[in-house]
Amino acid sequence: MSLRKRMLNDMDHDISEHIARETQDNIDRGMSPDEARYAALRKFGNVGLVKENTREVWSMVWLEQLGKDLRFSLRMLRKNPSFTLVAILTLALGIGANAAIFSLVRGVLLRPLVNRDENRLIYIRQSADGLNVDNINFSVPEIEDLRTSVKSVSEFGEFSQTVFTILGLGEPRVVRAGVVDGSYFEVVGLHPVLGRLLDMHDDGPKAEGAIVLTYRFWTNVFKSDPSVIGKTVRLDNGIFGMRPATIVGVLEPSIPYPSDTEIISNVVTSPHHLSATMVTGRVHRMTELFGRLAPGATIEQARAELTGVYATINQDYPADYPKQDRYGIDAKLLREQITSKARTVLLVLLAASGLIFIIACSNVANLILARTVRREGELGIRAALGASTGSLRRTLLAENLLLCGAGAALGVLIARPMVAVLARYASRFSVRALDLKVDSTMLWVGAGLALLAAVLLAFVPRLPSANASQGLTHASGGTRVAGGTNRRLRIFAMIQIAACFVLLAGASMLVKTLLSLQAAQTGLDMHHVLTFNMPVTTYGKTPDEVASFYRETLRRIQGIPGVDAVSIGSEIPWRDAGQFGSGLHFTADGQVHGAPEQDPRGHFRTISPGFFASLGVPIIAGRDFNASDRRGAESVVIISQTVAQRMFPNRDAVDRHIILTDPVLKFIPNFSAAPTRIVGVSADVDDEHIVPGPIMTLYYPFEQVMFGGRLFVHTSTDPYALVKPITTVVRDMSTDQPLERAATLADVRAEVLTPDRLNTFVFGGFALVALTIAVVGVAGVLAFSVSARTREFGIRLALGSQPYQLLKGVIVEGAVMAGLGILAGAGAGYVLARLAGSYFQDMHMPGAIVVGVSAFLLLAAAVIASALPAIRAARVDVIQALRAE
Amino acid sequence: MSTKEQSERIEMLQGTLDLLVLRTLLLGPTHGHAIAKAIEFNSDDVLQVEQGSLYPALHRLIKREWISFEVGTSENNRQAKFYRLTAKGRRQLTLETSKWDKFARAIGQILRPAKQEGD
Repeated sequence: MSLRKRMLNDMDHDISEHIARETQDNIDRGMSPDEARYAALRKFGNVGLVKENTREVWSMVWLEQLGKDLRFSLRMLRKNPSFTLVAILTLALGIGANAAIFSLVRGVLLRPLVNRDENRLIYIRQSADGLNVDNINFSVPEIEDLRTSVKSVSEFGEFSQTVFTILGLGEPRVVRAGVVDGSYFEVVGLHPVLGRLLDMHDDGPKAEGAIVLTYRFWTNVFKSDPSVIGKTVRLDNGIFGMRPATIVGVLEPSIPYPSDTEIISNVVTSPHHLSATMVTGRVHRMTELFGRLAPGATIEQARAELTGVYATINQDYPADYPKQDRYGIDAKLLREQITSKARTVLLVLLAASGLIFIIACSNVANLILARTVRREGELGIRAALGASTGSLRRTLLAENLLLCGAGAALGVLIARPMVAVLARYASRFSVRALDLKVDSTMLWVGAGLALLAAVLLAFVPRLPSANASQGLTHASGGTRVAGGTNRRLRIFAMIQIAACFVLLAGASMLVKTLLSLQAAQTGLDMHHVLTFNMPVTTYGKTPDEVASFYRETLRRIQGIPGVDAVSIGSEIPWRDAGQFGSGLHFTADGQVHGAPEQDPRGHFRTISPGFFASLGVPIIAGRDFNASDRRGAESVVIISQTVAQRMFPNRDAVDRHIILTDPVLKFIPNFSAAPTRIVGVSADVDDEHIVPGPIMTLYYPFEQVMFGGRLFVHTSTDPYALVKPITTVVRDMSTDQPLERAATLADVRAEVLTPDRLNTFVFGGFALVALTIAVVGVAGVLAFSVSARTREFGIRLALGSQPYQLLKGVIVEGAVMAGLGILAGAGAGYVLARLAGSYFQDMHMPGAIVVGVSAFLLLAAAVIASALPAIRAARVDVIQALRAE
Repeated sequence: MSTKEQSERIEMLQGTLDLLVLRTLLLGPTHGHAIAKAIEFNSDDVLQVEQGSLYPALHRLIKREWISFEVGTSENNRQAKFYRLTAKGRRQLTLETSKWDKFARAIGQILRPAKQEGD
């Protein structure tokens, strides 16, 4: 047995022995036995305290005490399961949300890129404030000028996006591709995981075609098969032709920027990039520009030098940089460029989760405060028996540590699925969220938050004074509540309601937006139109062969039972929105024609005959295209109703002419800008916007432009049942023709709305969590206030009050609390929105309906929350209540 | 019980009790109650210790190995712990006593400067 154990085991015996001797001494001095024992005890002092102090000699006192307190707390908490459960859940939600958001913020904003020396890797862009565009690509001559003059950037890397149909790897497949120059990979500082990347030997028009696969494409499509290296494929670039290329390597996993491409190839694979228009056209801007800071140069120096050189270029070519368009140049670290869009979103989310944490903490503070007040008797007795303030705090701390620890553990558990949802959500704003994994620091954040909450909450309750007389008053079963405590409870509850209101109003606004988006009438036959991507492949075919291929394919699809109408278009509504920019400048005869830039813009579409029929859209005047509108025949156009109204007000548009004036057209091969006769006017089809509005669209015959490649099939039966027969028909016609992404218009729309739905889901989730916590908070405060006023209710009932009056009183109390909270929330929310409005462009004040609905929801929740304690108040047993004290 | 007036009793200074226990045990091994009595008696009842506070002190001294104990039978045939000064404790007592003397002298000089000595 250890010395310590031996000493402590004998302690009781030693002490009683001591007292016995003292008693005997006193008896010997002539006291009566009772008197003698009493005197001995008095002389000895507080036996319990002596024992405790003696034990302290032997122990790591504080820790041992904490352990004891923890065990004690566990017992106490088990006795109060509802309190424990509510507190733990509340904290779990608060901590979980924060931990999840924090991993997101860390993963997206703070983590360095994998690129070598990523803090010297910059992204350069042009802007034109006058045209309201902030990111314009560069043209080949512009890049040449920068390369020769700018010294603070040691190397430039070029990247431009295109789309290839890749042939020779099983099913023909459309891939997003990046076309890069020889220095690109050196500049961005990435490494291959297999084979090699592209270098200067792959640059220029004489090199062999070479392809690097991105890691994701390699793993998803080739199942990480290393034998794919060395394979030769054909890359079809539509109207620009086809080139062979060899797969030379696989890129390491990295953040795809500016776009998530599947392959990266050298310039020679894209004939368009080598064409004269591209190489010499100063305004033919197709290339993204990366740079590496020269040794010793800072980003500020690079920016200044770029600006200087750019000003000279502007002066040298005044026609290409009109003064009123206000062209400019800027450079940013690539990391900042990648995260810039996500920053505001993440900060808003961080604020939302911060609010949740405040709500959760104040709620738990509420519960703990209420509990402490109810325990004042117990604490008072302990204080009277000599427990120091420190040891009382320690008891509370132990309890809070248990609560918060359990909350944090649960929080970290729920944070994992939350991170998954949030990552999907944030990937819209930053490609970095794509490969977001649950951060192990999340555990630490969770633990840190829990510890913080535990310590804060241990110091929230006021302790009963160690003054015994006051403590004992409480101990005598009183539940008198200090006015201050009650007020504090109420203030906490109101803060919760206010914070909850802000979130709820925000969420309601999003729900309302989503509902109006979903409810918008498109005028299209959403459920019966099946769409496919069927890009034009021209390799080895004459234009006439291409035209007859499509004509024959459409004819055969038309023959499938269940197909009402079939046609070719150039854009899948909503999904492909914006891929042709904001339209082409055009004019019409009879219009005053000034500079092309002053002309109106129309969306350029190519369609085959029957397009409007297959969408279920009427032709208002004139005729549809027909078989005679073919190559070599007169060029014709169909215009949307809005074009007709704007360009030919109160006149018949048919047989008048449209002239395309957009400067970009000179880069499209074989395109003639001659006046085109209008043969028909169709109803507006707004395929650009989710909420349709008037839209200016110009439709050209597919066979005359040979561009596009979207298949539209109007069906009378289940659309998806027709995917298979349609695919078979296309395969029979050509094994090289890709046919992808079959979806009805309704599903395309749902797919496009997914981000909005996710947005609503995330914020709605936050608001729901907040609402739950706030309701629990209000119920908790009222339950506490009711139980504290049991005696008062008893007296009132005894004096003849009706139970329903008490019921009403409590509910009114709850409603008033909620009302004040909502007012505070509305005020704070207004200020916040104004503040936010000065940082974000798209900040809208929620409408009156939204505010009203949110307020109503909260108020209703508060009334329901107060009903339970109210019923308890009305059911108070008079006799019991009066006897209680 | 004490026969002195309340006002004449003084509170124990921190750590003094340990010193007094060691000093008491210098006379020979004895049990707890006897130590308390001895301290009271030798100080003419001026030093009023709550007897209970002796026990943390005893445990502390045992933990530091300044005293040891053995279970023995006392004069009236009762089992009790008899505490005994160890060699280490003896050294500590010498050290503490000289420290205490210095301390007491210093306090005395401050409270009763030399020129007033003759008063």
